[in-house]
Amino acid sequence: MFLALKELKHSKGKFMMIGLIIVFISWLVFVLSGLGTGLSDLAASTLKYAEADYVIFEEDTDFSLSKSILSEDLEKKVLEQKGVEAVASMGTVSASIRSADGNEENATKTDVLVAGIQPGSFMEPEVSSGKNLTSSSLNGVIVDESLKEDGFSIGDELAINGYTEKLEIIGFVQNETLNHQPVIFAQMDKFRAIKYAAPGSDNGIENPVNGILVQATDIDLDAVNEEIDGIEMGTKDEAVKSIPGYAAENGTIMMMLWFLIIISAFIIGVFFYVLTNQKTQQFGVLKAIGGSNVFVMKTVISQVFILSTVSILTGIGLTYLTAAVLPEGMPFNLRIPMVIIYSIVLLAISVLSSLFSVIKISKIDPLTALGRVE
Amino acid sequence: MSSIQLENVTKRYKDNVSEMIALNHVSLAVDKGEFVAIIGPSGSGKSTFLSIAGALLQPSEGEVFIKDKAISSFNEKDLAQVRLEQIGFILQTSNLIPYLTVLDQLLVVAKMKGSITEEMKQAAKELLKDLGLEKRLKKYPNELSGGERQRVAIARSFMNNPDVILADEPTANLDTVRAHEVVQLIAKEVKYRNKAAIMVTHDERMLKYCDRVYRIEDGVLKEENL
Repeated sequence: MFLALKELKHSKGKFMMIGLIIVFISWLVFVLSGLGTGLSDLAASTLKYAEADYVIFEEDTDFSLSKSILSEDLEKKVLEQKGVEAVASMGTVSASIRSADGNEENATKTDVLVAGIQPGSFMEPEVSSGKNLTSSSLNGVIVDESLKEDGFSIGDELAINGYTEKLEIIGFVQNETLNHQPVIFAQMDKFRAIKYAAPGSDNGIENPVNGILVQATDIDLDAVNEEIDGIEMGTKDEAVKSIPGYAAENGTIMMMLWFLIIISAFIIGVFFYVLTNQKTQQFGVLKAIGGSNVFVMKTVISQVFILSTVSILTGIGLTYLTAAVLPEGMPFNLRIPMVIIYSIVLLAISVLSSLFSVIKISKIDPLTALGRVE
Repeated sequence: MSSIQLENVTKRYKDNVSEMIALNHVSLAVDKGEFVAIIGPSGSGKSTFLSIAGALLQPSEGEVFIKDKAISSFNEKDLAQVRLEQIGFILQTSNLIPYLTVLDQLLVVAKMKGSITEEMKQAAKELLKDLGLEKRLKKYPNELSGGERQRVAIARSFMNNPDVILADEPTANLDTVRAHEVVQLIAKEVKYRNKAAIMVTHDERMLKYCDRVYRIEDGVLKEENL
């Protein structure tokens, strides 16, 4: 630490340049991570942050809410299974809404996903403003806050294109989107009236829903799948990954992220390796006057550590500044656990990259201090 | 017991075709308070001698005793420890660390041993004062003259309170006045602090400050009669 700090202070310019590169890289890593989470939230937040552990779909429907049709009556059977603590059914249907005042031709329409739930089940999110669903008002819906930007507010009547059903906004919820569309939570019966309005569209299933979410601990998936006919149960993660486009979207961002991290490791590694090479003579002197290998290595490793820590922290600061000026509609969600994980990974990988220098140092012969070898 | 003793030390360098003998059965003992000079033309084995005496290089044959420790079988880590605790190097062109102030150049030695105590700080300041550097404590090497740099190097070599001081051409880049000053200082400190010192040099004007003078030629060491 002693030498590391003294040198950092003495050669500010040199280290500032490499520090700046790390700042930019970590900045980009955090912004990408925020965008990645934002995008994946847009695709899946309602499912991703649901307080559920498992999801039950109809058999052979690829974990797809739009393909699967189950009977809500299955809930009882599921609850009887070992380990199951609570269940909540859900149905989803895409729809296009408009303000009930406008006429169907001219009014602005917004694409949404109507999700049918039972009021009071664990799938009902807490409202950030307004009221929660109650069985007394069948038309009441709670909707994602992004609809505010489209001009909707509490008390608005909504009409659904192609249907005669009316809805009324009674509350707003945060970060509830699925398939890149804002979610409108409606009562299950209302949802059925919309999705299964046409006779026979429910395949003759009574009380149709599209999936049953399960809270459970120590559950035996295979046993449940065998016990109940016609279902396929998977973890919530599996269900999220099966959302169309989710895996591909996430994969792209993740690839960029990890490439960036690896690139930063190389940049730092090479920079310090070149620096170490330049300082061969100096390190030789330190060894000649009694510095052990460990002593000399520590100076380089702690330099990398200090420089990376300061740069990553600056990067985090810049990221939050960026988040503050990003436009509202931008899918950006910087989650603190992610920031911590990426910071640790960036730091660990930069320290690891100083390994090249450490190997080099161990090979420096203290004889070089004599400045001539006969 | 002498502070440093070389016994029948031989060093051979081998390459594919031939074998070269850099040191040929060299024996030498230096006691506390003695200042010994070794002179010889380039290629005579001076550097090899200094490297072996300074625990930087292991002999092919023979034994080196630093105080009562036989070091020819030591590994790299133990050798570093010997250098840290028992040997003080004054290197050619002083070899100071460019980003450390004069005071820090000495404290880094303390840091190698563990942590820097207030006591060590005082000792370092004392040493620098002895060498007339008390006004230069906060200067960096590039702000010092050649003579001053060499004086810092001398102070650094005494910092770890070693048994043996080894000087490698300490006057190489200095003019006559400075050269005399530097060697005089080494001699003074060696006597005052009662250390064994060996100086390798080709500068015969400096020999009058030394107690004994040896000449090395083709790896063979002989005492000179002054």
